[in-house]
Order: sequence, then structure tokens, then C-alpha cells
Amino acid sequence: MATIITILQRLASPPKQTLRTLQPTPSTVSYTVSTRPVPKTLPAILGFYIGIPVRILIGIGTLEQLVKVADMSQWRYLAPGALLVLYLVFHRGYTEESLTVLRGLGLQTSTASSLYLRTPTTRFIPTTSIQDIFIHEAFRGFEVRFYLAIVVKSEEEVVVVFPRLLPRRDILEEVWRGARACLYEGMAVKKREKEKEGVES
Amino acid sequence: MPYNIAMVSDNFFPQPGGVESHMYQLSSKLIDRGHKVIIITHAYAGRTGVRYLTNGLKVYHVPFWVVYRETTFPTVFSFFPIFRNIIIREQIEIVHGHASLSNLCHEAILHARTMGLRAVMTDHSLFGFADAASILTNKLLKFTLSDVDHVICVSHTGKENTVLRASLDPLMVSVIPNAVVAENFRPLSYHSHNARRHSAPGPPQPLGPHDTITIVVISRLFYNKGIDLLIAAIPRILASHPNVRFIIAGTGPKAIDLEQMIERNVLQDRVSLLGPVRHEEVRDVMVQGHIYLHPSLTEAFGTVIVEAASCGLYVVCTRVGGIPEVLPNHMTEFAAPEEDDLVAATGRAIAKLREGKVRTELFHNQVKQMYSWTDVAQRTEIVYDEISGAFSYDEHGQDAGVGAARSTTRSRAGVQSFALIDRLKRYYGCGIWAGKLFCLCVIVDYLLYVVLEIFAPRSRIDIARNWPKKDCRNGKEKDADAVKAGATVGRKRSSRHRREKRAEPDES
Repeated sequence: MATIITILQRLASPPKQTLRTLQPTPSTVSYTVSTRPVPKTLPAILGFYIGIPVRILIGIGTLEQLVKVADMSQWRYLAPGALLVLYLVFHRGYTEESLTVLRGLGLQTSTASSLYLRTPTTRFIPTTSIQDIFIHEAFRGFEVRFYLAIVVKSEEEVVVVFPRLLPRRDILEEVWRGARACLYEGMAVKKREKEKEGVES
Repeated sequence: MPYNIAMVSDNFFPQPGGVESHMYQLSSKLIDRGHKVIIITHAYAGRTGVRYLTNGLKVYHVPFWVVYRETTFPTVFSFFPIFRNIIIREQIEIVHGHASLSNLCHEAILHARTMGLRAVMTDHSLFGFADAASILTNKLLKFTLSDVDHVICVSHTGKENTVLRASLDPLMVSVIPNAVVAENFRPLSYHSHNARRHSAPGPPQPLGPHDTITIVVISRLFYNKGIDLLIAAIPRILASHPNVRFIIAGTGPKAIDLEQMIERNVLQDRVSLLGPVRHEEVRDVMVQGHIYLHPSLTEAFGTVIVEAASCGLYVVCTRVGGIPEVLPNHMTEFAAPEEDDLVAATGRAIAKLREGKVRTELFHNQVKQMYSWTDVAQRTEIVYDEISGAFSYDEHGQDAGVGAARSTTRSRAGVQSFALIDRLKRYYGCGIWAGKLFCLCVIVDYLLYVVLEIFAPRSRIDIARNWPKKDCRNGKEKDADAVKAGATVGRKRSSRHRREKRAEPDES
């Protein structure tokens, strides 16, 4: 009984989200929330790296087949199958959304598309038109979720950061702190000190 | 210890009304006393989602009807997933429902009991027993109240009514009256700087026989407010007392009858109809008069007569429902709910005012001492203490993590009467068919709870941050606490606050 429940729970639970922070220069931070599983064990790492060439090979093979079968009689059956395989080859198995903050310039939100072929949807908001950035709660489906939102000048609606993943509160709070520290330089020093205190204690 | 309380009702701001202001005032006073209070209500036009009111009162406007239309669930259960989510993320311990006609309140109490939480309900109204609508409402009330920890009524008459309607044990019903914000209902001649000068109120100033006496009526113009009685009484009162005029404020289906009466008797210059009046303007209307006439046929409490007395008006009212409990005898003139007696009582009141026997200018301070929301909050807190007193989990209380919260729920479900079988026994006694139907509802609710625990586990729900608390217990309130509740309780709580406050930045 207990095992069935755990299996059900695992099936029903959404993929785990991880936050990656990239800070190439002191004035630029990029926060990426992703559901991509990070391979840790040796077989997993091997599988990940072998998977890439396998995907490429399968893709090329299907394309070749598609070209070949174009003049054959069974193309009616083969073409949809090939297209499905191509879709699976180009399909991104995870969702990735990011927020890049450039001090003095502005910030850019980005959501990766579900296919490798398309570019991510991005939106750049200059500092001058950012009025506020805050975390609030809203109803979504049968639950109340936290979201990080940016108030843009002369716009009716707020811009929601990470609109598809809606990460959990701890991730949002980290991003919010970092973004504020980067956007409002005067407050940045104080904030960082506070954060340090928080980490130490 | 401070509790996390969720007030649930269909009625809340922006809609105006008595229940709404009761919930708001009670919640803000409970917050002042160090508790955490949230309000759950349904969405109003242009008001959906999570909002904060003054003092950090968090309001969830649940987009309930949308969910209802989109799902095939019957209404009874469709609220459960969202309700459970809110309860977990806010770490609620006590669910307090308001108003017996509110659907949301009944559902919340049922779900709260299923989740193993304490449930309290405040009944704000009186009901009959005879007509079809009342029978249905009473059955619903009986269903909800068969498994509730405590019931609060606003008057002793209301208590009697509720006990009979829901076949409750009178011991689990308390009476906590409404209150008024006396500062908002000051008489015209009242100045805040002489409020402390109790000693010398000055000699009474009787009204001369030719001074005009104004009678004020502020009421929604419905049958149950006794407007028919008023319509019959006004011409007779005006005929026998020449220097009297009426001001009537409010709107409703009886407004037309009232206008017809005025035209038939040609009383346009002596009766003025103001139409609908906002709650903030009520005081401005009241202070224009000398007598407040309240002809209601049924009333659980009658906050408006307290407001009138606070404005320094002499009150003439019918002896129905909880009204006789509300004000002391020297402020009121009672009448039986019939035409002749109402006219006679109004005549007596006018005579008394002309003789200067009534010191209406003293009413404000007396009302202020009798009714305050701080007092209501203190008494409600005692109810909360009582119902959760049996627990021993206070030490590792609400700051414990999700896992602990879950384990306490589980263990409490074992030892306390939260056990499903005990609850079923209570519901089964409701009636031959109703009992079985109610049991079925409870079982479905419980199964739904189990399914939710599997598919929306507690570990996946983020705990909401509390509104940063500040020590807002100023000197005046502290004194009142020391007298009422014993100084130790207050002190203990405030020290706990400070500790929590210090702990909060560390978490981040």
C-alpha cells in the first residue's frame, strides 16, 4: 500500500527545479531556473553525453529516410512516423527560464521554447522603465502560488518572471534579492551585508 | 499562545454590512493582540486574489465561482483543494466561520474538521422554524454544527435560537456581543479634549415645548425591519405631536409604501426621505436627531441602536430578539411590536425629552465603556484558548516545519475526537435520512482529503511569510489587558513576539 502511494506521489509530482546563478562580471547576474536533471552518477553522465550524438545520428538518419521514401508507395505511413521521430529528436525535454540583470542597463527575461529549433522568447526592460520588482501570491488552478513580478512604467499589467515554471518561494526570494541588489546600487551594499549575516548565522 | 486564525465568510468588503465590519474589526483587534489572522472570502468584481488590508490583515478573495463552473464537482467539495492549500501555507490552527447563511463558512468548517483543525462559528442572525427556507437553512446549520468546537452568538436570544435550531449543547455556545467604534459615532457637541472631564457634565438642558424634536430612522426598508409598523405609526405620531419631524434613511422594497404614506397624509414637510446612506455617513444623519426609532420585527443584536445611543440619541425600539439585552433601560424606551404601543412609546420618549429627564449627552461615554472591539477580541481569545486548551503541542507549535505540522495533525486525529468514526457518529444523529446523507458527504470529504494528501503533498506547498509584527500594544491597551486578562498573559506573549521577530531574518 505504502509503495503504491509513493509511486503515485512520484508520478504526480512535477519535475524538480534547480536554480543556477551565473555572474561573469560584478555588474551582471543571470539566474536560470530549469527542470533539466543534472547528471551526477557516472552512468548518467555517460548516458547524457552518448545521448547527444545518438540524437544527431537518429535525426540525420530519419531525414535521409524521409528523402528516400519520398518516391516510394508507402510514404503515407512512413512520413508521419518520420516526422514524429524528428519532433522527438528536436524536442527539449525540460523547461528553462532565466532572468538576466545588467546593472545600469536593465533586465531581460527569457523562456526557452520546447523545440531546439526555435529561439527563446525574450523581453528586455530598461532600468528607466522599471518601477518595482516584487514577490506576490495569486490563485492558479487549485492552489496559491508565489510569483516574481516587475512593474513596468506605462503598462497596465505586470511582467511575470519565470511565467511557466513559477518556482518556489526560496528560489524567488534569492532571485529577488539579487535583482534588487543589482538594480538599486545604493541599497546593494546594505543588502549584501544582511545576506552575509543571514548565511553566517 | 498566539494562534493562526482563518476567518471565513462569503460576506466581506467591498460589500458593506454588519458581518463584514464585525469580521474586520475583530480580526484587526486580534492582530493587535498578537495573533495571525487571515480572511478567506470569495472574489468580488474587480477583487480577486490575495490582498492586504491595514494592519497586515491578509484577505484571500478565492475565485470560487470560476472553479465551480469549470469542474464537475458539486459545490460542497470544489472549495476543498484551494481551502487546504491556503490553510497549509498559512499554518492555520483555528478556522472561524461567520454568518449562518454563508455557504463558504459551512464548507470551510466541514473541511477544517476533516483536516483536523479547530472550528468556531459565529452566528449573526435569528431564524424562524416554520417556513420552508428556514427549515432548509436550519438543516444545513445542523449539519455544520454537529461537528464544530464552539459556537458564538451575538446575543442571548440568538444563543437560544441557535441552540434550538441546531440542537446543540448550550455549554458549547458563547455569547459575545457586537461592538461599535465609538470614535466614529460622536454626538454633535462632543469634543475630544473634554472627554476626560467626567466629573462635571453640567445641568440638563430640557427642550422647550415648542422646540422641534427630530426622530431618525436608519434601516434597510424591508418587511422584517418593521417598516409596515413604521408606516402605520408615523401619521399618528405626527398628528398627536405638532413639533416633531422624521428623517428616514435607507432603501429597499418598502420605500414605495413609505412614499405613498407620505403623499396620502401630505407630510412632505415633516418627513424627509434621504434614500441610501453609506456607513460613514450614518453618524452625520444620526446627530441631526434627538430620538432614534427602531421598529424592527426580528433582530439578533441591532448594532445600529448602539450607534444611535453613542451619537447621543434616545432610543425607541421594539422588544424583540436580542434588542432588550443591548442597551441599559435609561437609554431606551421599549414597545411591543405593534402599532399602538409603538405610538405610545414614542409619545413617552418625546415627553421625557421635553421634561429633560434623559441625559442623552452622557450616552456616548457610557456606550464607549460598554462596547469596544478590544473587549470582543479578548473574549473571542478566551474561546480560542478553551477549544485548543487540551493540546500539548504548544511547545513545538507553529514554527515547526512542514513535517512536524503533519505529524501533529496525524497524532491529534488519533487521540482527539477528529477520528472519522467519532465524527460520523455525530453526523449520523442528525436525522433519519439527513444523517445518512451527511455521513456520505463527510466520507467523500475525507476521501478527497486523502487523495489531496497524495497528489498535492504538503511538502510541495510553500509556507507563506508572516506579516512583520510590531509591538503595537501601546500603554492604554496594555492597561486594559492587565485588568482584564491578567498581566502575565500579556507579558508572556509580547516577549514571545520579540523572539520571533529576531528569529525571522535568520531564516532568510
